[in-house]
Amino acid sequence: MSSEDPIVQMYKVCKRFGKIKALDKVDIQIYRGRIIGLLGSNGAGKSTLLRHIIGLYLPDEGHCTTFGCEAGKLGPRELSKIGYVHQEGELLDWMTVEQLIRYVSAYYPMWNFELEEKYIADFEISTSVRVGTLSPGQRQRLAILLAIGFEPALLILDEPASALDPIARAQFLELLLQIIQDENRAIIISSHILSDVEKVIDHAVIMKEGRILVDCGFDQLRERFSRVRISSLSGVLPSALPFENVLKCQRSNGEAILTIQDFSEEQIEQAAQNLDCQIEVQPLSLEDIYKIVAG
Amino acid sequence: MKILAANLKHLYQRRILWLFYVYLGLIILIIFSSVAAEIENPDAGRRHFIWLLMHEFLIGCIAAALQIEVLNKPLSYCLPGHRKTIRKFIFWVGIVISFVGSLLFFAYPGLLSWETILILCSAFCANLIFYWFGVGFVFVNKNAAIAIALFFWWAIFVPMLLDLHIMIESIFVQYFAIIVFIGGLSSIAAWFWLGNEGLARRYCAVPWISLFDLWNRDKLLRYSQSKAVTKWNKLKTHPNPQVEGFFLARMQIYGHFGIGRYIWGSLYTTFGIAISQGKGNLLGLFILLLMAIFFSYMGPMAAIIFYFLPAFMVGQIRLPVYSSMLISGGRKERFLTAMTLVATIAVLITALVTTIAALSVPLATTMPDITLHGKTFTFHAMSLQPFFVPLLMIPIVFTIQLFFFKKPYFVTVTIILLFMLLFTGGSLLKALSTVINPIYLIVSLLILSWSIFVMVLRYICMKRCLVGQGHAY
Repeated sequence: MSSEDPIVQMYKVCKRFGKIKALDKVDIQIYRGRIIGLLGSNGAGKSTLLRHIIGLYLPDEGHCTTFGCEAGKLGPRELSKIGYVHQEGELLDWMTVEQLIRYVSAYYPMWNFELEEKYIADFEISTSVRVGTLSPGQRQRLAILLAIGFEPALLILDEPASALDPIARAQFLELLLQIIQDENRAIIISSHILSDVEKVIDHAVIMKEGRILVDCGFDQLRERFSRVRISSLSGVLPSALPFENVLKCQRSNGEAILTIQDFSEEQIEQAAQNLDCQIEVQPLSLEDIYKIVAG
Repeated sequence: MKILAANLKHLYQRRILWLFYVYLGLIILIIFSSVAAEIENPDAGRRHFIWLLMHEFLIGCIAAALQIEVLNKPLSYCLPGHRKTIRKFIFWVGIVISFVGSLLFFAYPGLLSWETILILCSAFCANLIFYWFGVGFVFVNKNAAIAIALFFWWAIFVPMLLDLHIMIESIFVQYFAIIVFIGGLSSIAAWFWLGNEGLARRYCAVPWISLFDLWNRDKLLRYSQSKAVTKWNKLKTHPNPQVEGFFLARMQIYGHFGIGRYIWGSLYTTFGIAISQGKGNLLGLFILLLMAIFFSYMGPMAAIIFYFLPAFMVGQIRLPVYSSMLISGGRKERFLTAMTLVATIAVLITALVTTIAALSVPLATTMPDITLHGKTFTFHAMSLQPFFVPLLMIPIVFTIQLFFFKKPYFVTVTIILLFMLLFTGGSLLKALSTVINPIYLIVSLLILSWSIFVMVLRYICMKRCLVGQGHAY
């Protein structure tokens, strides 16, 4: 498997749970060197998709390969390259933090003890306490440590920061950026805290009802949508504005705010000249884009 | 709809209660048929009357558990009238059930008509006493499983073995005035206690496991997590560093991707905490010895229960199959480690139970006879022949666990039913052993149970989803 090949390939993957279609013909490829934001409402199929990648779920139809191996047949060699922080937060509660780290590290030949020490110090993890006594935030920090301690080539984070406080979240995002310095790695992060996610991702996947609505570079996605504030220089705006693909329009006293799709900056400037208006173009936040795409 | 009517709907909306109604119906049928069969004999029918009375305890537990669920919801605390309805519901159920139960005493032998009326009153009050006992028990105890265990112990083993039921029954027949007085007093006390304003406050939004939550894995998990701080803080000495060192050293003998590492890892996560508890292990062993002595006194047939019990208990051990905590082991590793783990458990349990049973042989010569209520119990050495029972039962228990993993208490109930079935099927096995060589029969059963287990385990590990949809695993 060359470094150019995708780490994960899903082809027409379908998964049903009773009457619910959790995944509906999902096609996706994950390449190295990317931080992918997996976005979607509750029940959109994000966790199901992630669990297919590591072989915890098997597809009803289609196939999923991870590191060139069918996901359901992943063995220790492939799984030792995958770090996974799951939203359930299952850990061995009866061990101390130190014992749990020692136990998990025993499975990974590439465990980085220096990174472990640094992370413990940075995230202020107390190693002598029992895992069962940790607060949700501390549990999540420990789960992150266990997932990154062996410097995995693929790091899967399913709601990793939901229980972290703002400072820990900022540290965590910084950590992700450090990890991705190594271009041979890929990170998939599924989160509802979009303001955090947009700081680090370079690729966005938006899901709804088991289907992928958007799968593209984050910059590309941002370029597709813009917010335009138009202020008339003559005091009056014409009733019909020369823009296509207007998603939203708010007008008041010679001013209009438009949310538009697939309209280049040159086209906007041209329209401004024709209208005798002042135009201000603002990019949309990920949250706004998400609302438009999945709303 | 009135609040009470809405509350009473629980009685049929809870599907698990339907199972209980079937059970209760069967019990009533058995009691009535027993009474009808012996009604001509003035003394023989007496012992059957108590059974319905004893079930009042369980009915009290259920009524209280249903209402604690209501109290537990913050919504019901705020809505007008809901707090007071708890008391009405519990009283309604108690009075109706106690009245129906007491009707059976129309058939009580050897009573004059005026005596029958008094005994009916006494029976009604006795029913209520048992009912309040059940209600109080569930309100006070947070773990409802204890209530069930106590019920079975109370209603089946103890009275049967010691003839206590006859004694209790004769008390409320002979001393009906006292029973009526206690019944009335306990009902008044219950009325005030259940109407206490503080009660609703005490149970509102408090982590609680009721009888019906035993089926709800998510709720059990949330409850155990909410209690984790207290629970784990008590375990100051665990896990033992030597135990940890031992298992990690065994793991490191094997290569990082070798199956041996995963097997030792799963043995560590399964037995690590148990082995670390020195005093706990000694206490467990002591309890097992006491049970062995108890069953030895109960006679040779009862001793077979001793061989069944450990298999029943290991059903609570969780196999390393369904886990979302990812280590580098794949599906194949999960399959092999789970299989090795079950084989290890089976061998260890068989060795332990057989050793304890063997100890009863020398003890048989020294243990004295015990006389209770004119009944003499003799210590019998336990037969070593059923040593294969744990080996046979453990794979069956784990097969059930694999199927019903999401509902741990459903596993327990299924296992109990299975044991009852096997127990009653014992005579069939005996009959079969006259036709087929018993050794061949046992070996065939062992091969069958292990084959089924391995096939089910392999199917789940290789072909099924290993974590649930939307559930905490």
